[in-house]
Amino acid sequence: MDVCRDLLDKPLVDRNGREMGRVDGVLIEQPAGEPPRLAEIVAGPSALAERLHPTLGRLMARLESMWRLSGKRPVRIAMSDVLHIDRHVKIARTIAETGADEVEKRVRSLVTKIPGA
Amino acid sequence: MGSISTAAQAGAEFGFALLWAIAIATLILAVLAEMAGRIATISKRSIAAAVRDRFGIHFQIVPLGAELAIDLLLLTAELGGAAIAVKMLTGVGFQWWILPVGILVWLVLWLGNFTVIEDGVGLLGLITLSFVVAAWRVNPDMRTVAAGFVPSIPNHDLTRYAFLSVSIVGATVSPYLLNFYSSGAIEEKWTEPDLWINRMTTFLGMGFGSVVAIGVLVTAAVVLGPRHMKVETYEQAALKFVPVYGRWAVTLFALSLGVGCLGAAIEITLNAGYVLAQSFGWSWGADRKRRDAARFTAAFTLVLLLAMGIAVIGFDPLQVTLISAALTVVIMPIVVLPFLVLMNDQRYVGRHTSGPLGNGVLAALTIAGAIMALVVIPLEIFGG
Repeated sequence: MDVCRDLLDKPLVDRNGREMGRVDGVLIEQPAGEPPRLAEIVAGPSALAERLHPTLGRLMARLESMWRLSGKRPVRIAMSDVLHIDRHVKIARTIAETGADEVEKRVRSLVTKIPGA
Repeated sequence: MGSISTAAQAGAEFGFALLWAIAIATLILAVLAEMAGRIATISKRSIAAAVRDRFGIHFQIVPLGAELAIDLLLLTAELGGAAIAVKMLTGVGFQWWILPVGILVWLVLWLGNFTVIEDGVGLLGLITLSFVVAAWRVNPDMRTVAAGFVPSIPNHDLTRYAFLSVSIVGATVSPYLLNFYSSGAIEEKWTEPDLWINRMTTFLGMGFGSVVAIGVLVTAAVVLGPRHMKVETYEQAALKFVPVYGRWAVTLFALSLGVGCLGAAIEITLNAGYVLAQSFGWSWGADRKRRDAARFTAAFTLVLLLAMGIAVIGFDPLQVTLISAALTVVIMPIVVLPFLVLMNDQRYVGRHTSGPLGNGVLAALTIAGAIMALVVIPLEIFGG
């Protein structure tokens, strides 16, 4: 697999096919004496901003903490949870289990206050 | 609105001489829209999504930022144009109408599904055929009109002529149209057998817009040109209707302008939501309940509010249109270049990859776009 071509920036969906964002970054680890391996997928505004520029990443992380998003940000998904990679990157967990729906839920609570939502 | 205003200015100042620019701009738009529709139909990705998938965020951030900036400017101009149309009908200052027009745009998007929005905008847009009828009734010399489709060097104001020709391209080939169209293909769940609909829609649909712009240019050329009247405001543009529609001229012009601007404002607002949601992987779609695509809904609402805020400050919609047309030309190479790659990648278009002709057209467009991007700022300063 070519990480840049096949994984980074691809749409991320949960096991029910619900949109979870995109693969905004990856975590590569290298245990002592072993070759590097792809450990986790990361998703969320701070991970994306970090890729563009570290200062932007720090700014976005501060915004996330100011907005008191619960759970660990950015969202981290172990590669062992990846079911398959094609047009989407599908994972074996639900969006609620990963916490990737936190922002959507916050915005939804505002949108649903408007009649007809 | 950009097409109407640039065509009116071109007709008033250069007669039929810039008809070729409308024809070329329409052809460019139709070719790119057909490819955008093909990519969306086969890959189930809009242009924004395909560019993020294929090129990554480091490339996409540039066209994304530029498209959002242009969307915001265009939306400001369209809201202003619709408000000016109501002002022409009521006599009450246009800034008072920005808020009601903005609320109307939002209500259509809040309550309508994709079919209602698309068909409604299309049906109401038929009123702009009054521009075509006007062109017919001013009885232009058809031989001179036909000659206008052949590029020529004017005998005066070459800089202004070049500026208007580039502005016509910029006002016609708006990036929002490409993403909106490809998103529509996904909303309507087009599949491979629908590719002929894609071809028909792009060439006939974009052709309709072109016929309207040609109508505006021809009427302006016949009515305003001989009187040496330039088009610097919409009220001046309405004057070209007077010999055709008499005392109904202003009403009909205002209705055509208002409906055209309102339809464009609805599409641009929706597209801002599309672009953001597709780029960042949020749930999106005009057919979804708004609560099920909350960030998409919030995104288009915020962009609309921002544009309303800018429009209320009172920027001249005509000037904003010309600036956004120039910006469109500046970013044209980075809008066209991804097409060249995507149209040759079987993961996006399957067996419907671009042939030598399509690739040649795209390569020529990228080069022409780069040249236009280089000259548009000096032209904006010296010819705008």
